[in-house]
Amino acid sequence: MTPMRLKGKSAVVTGGAQGIGRAIVLGLAREATNIAVADLQRDKAEEVAAEARNFGVTAIAVQTDVASEESVANLARQALGRFERVDILVNDAGIFPQARVTEITEEIWDRVLDVNLGGNFLCCRAFVPSMRAQKSGRIISIASGIAHTGAVAGAHYAASKAGIVGFIKALAREVGPDGVTANAVCPNIIDTELPRSHRTPAELHERLVRNPLGYAMQPEDLVGTVLFLASDAASYITGQAVNVNCGTVMI
Amino acid sequence: MADIALITGGGNGIGRAVALKFATEGIAVVVADWEADAAEKTCAEIRINGADAEAVRVDVRRAGEVKDAVARVLDRRGTIDILANIAGGSFYRKRLEELSWAEWKEVLDINLKGTFLFCRETAPAMIRQKRGRIINTASNYGVTGSALRTPYSAAKAGVIGFSKSLALELASDGVLVNVVAPGPTDTPRVMEGWDPEARQKRAAEIPLGRNGTPEDIAEAFYFLSSPASAQITGQTLHVNGGWVMP
Repeated sequence: MTPMRLKGKSAVVTGGAQGIGRAIVLGLAREATNIAVADLQRDKAEEVAAEARNFGVTAIAVQTDVASEESVANLARQALGRFERVDILVNDAGIFPQARVTEITEEIWDRVLDVNLGGNFLCCRAFVPSMRAQKSGRIISIASGIAHTGAVAGAHYAASKAGIVGFIKALAREVGPDGVTANAVCPNIIDTELPRSHRTPAELHERLVRNPLGYAMQPEDLVGTVLFLASDAASYITGQAVNVNCGTVMI
Repeated sequence: MADIALITGGGNGIGRAVALKFATEGIAVVVADWEADAAEKTCAEIRINGADAEAVRVDVRRAGEVKDAVARVLDRRGTIDILANIAGGSFYRKRLEELSWAEWKEVLDINLKGTFLFCRETAPAMIRQKRGRIINTASNYGVTGSALRTPYSAAKAGVIGFSKSLALELASDGVLVNVVAPGPTDTPRVMEGWDPEARQKRAAEIPLGRNGTPEDIAEAFYFLSSPASAQITGQTLHVNGGWVMP
């Protein structure tokens, strides 16, 4: 891929310790972007930061609960303290405990909405002021095709992911005048820990390739879109939900 | 026997108009609202015409209150055929940086969690009778986004995603789940916040040339509760004079 001119920029990636978030961290590191890896899992975040440093960039790990105001405030202090500016915020942290509506407890509902959607709010709120001040910034939130299609045993997840798309559109209108863009990326099923947790390998494979391209998406397959949205090439794109899904959903 | 409808936010505005419309169509209505007086007032209007209405005070954010309210209705009425989740509102006009976590959660809880809680408590009765209609309320802002309304846009988009999932879960039980997305509507609460000139300006931007009325929106709710929409589920019906065409 042509260099995206992200060299020397700095990024925060939530949920960066595994799966899609980890792939995005390493993709940004390859483009010479400095990175704060924010994740609840401290050890895994440290490992990913170390992997990123192999590309010669500065990378730090910050243990973060994106649903906690204090924890997100700490993330902002650490990242802005280390890099002085944050150019790119990638909101990837998310959870998906499957349950049908009649079985979703209040605790599960609150946790899914607070982490997946509230985390977007708290992280954007933490980094938008400095992006406004520097008159530039890129916010990229990982939503899901389920935002558009719904899913059985995933009403709370669909609510949170559709919520991200609605939030990003409102945010794009708010921060646009200050040179900040906000977009969402909607993958469908990708070969990560999350879908592996409740399927046999055969079931997972069958599900992964059930799309027009017949291709099983890996976390790395989202990276190109994220780098594009973070780059100058996408400076005229905001408020969009970009589907990266092998044609599973066309909307 | 008449169908039983439970309408949240039925004390005022769109909820009140839906309650009145349903009653006119021979549906027995339970009007739920956190303002007990407003709910009673709607019921009194309905009873003047000899129709069946009762009021329930409930804060849709509180799981315990929702559970108790639905249980009481089921106890007295035997079932709920139609659930219209209308309680909601945008409440704040603030930039992202000025919103507190508590304000964010308040808007999300009233618009989205309340919808979830009522669906969760009501669905088993509908599944038992293999028949039911759930109609949730979004907003054009859930689809377009609105500056200074980030939590409201998030919550209303969330209602649409939630409703699609619930439609998939309940389809085989004969329960249909849809969404009405009102555009600019002249409810008492909206009218309070607008000066007449700004309202006229907005109306001029709407292809049909006027803001919606609560009664316009109520017609869409009735359609989605009626046999005329028997093959419609998981959909969002925008009622906005053509203002937004997603």
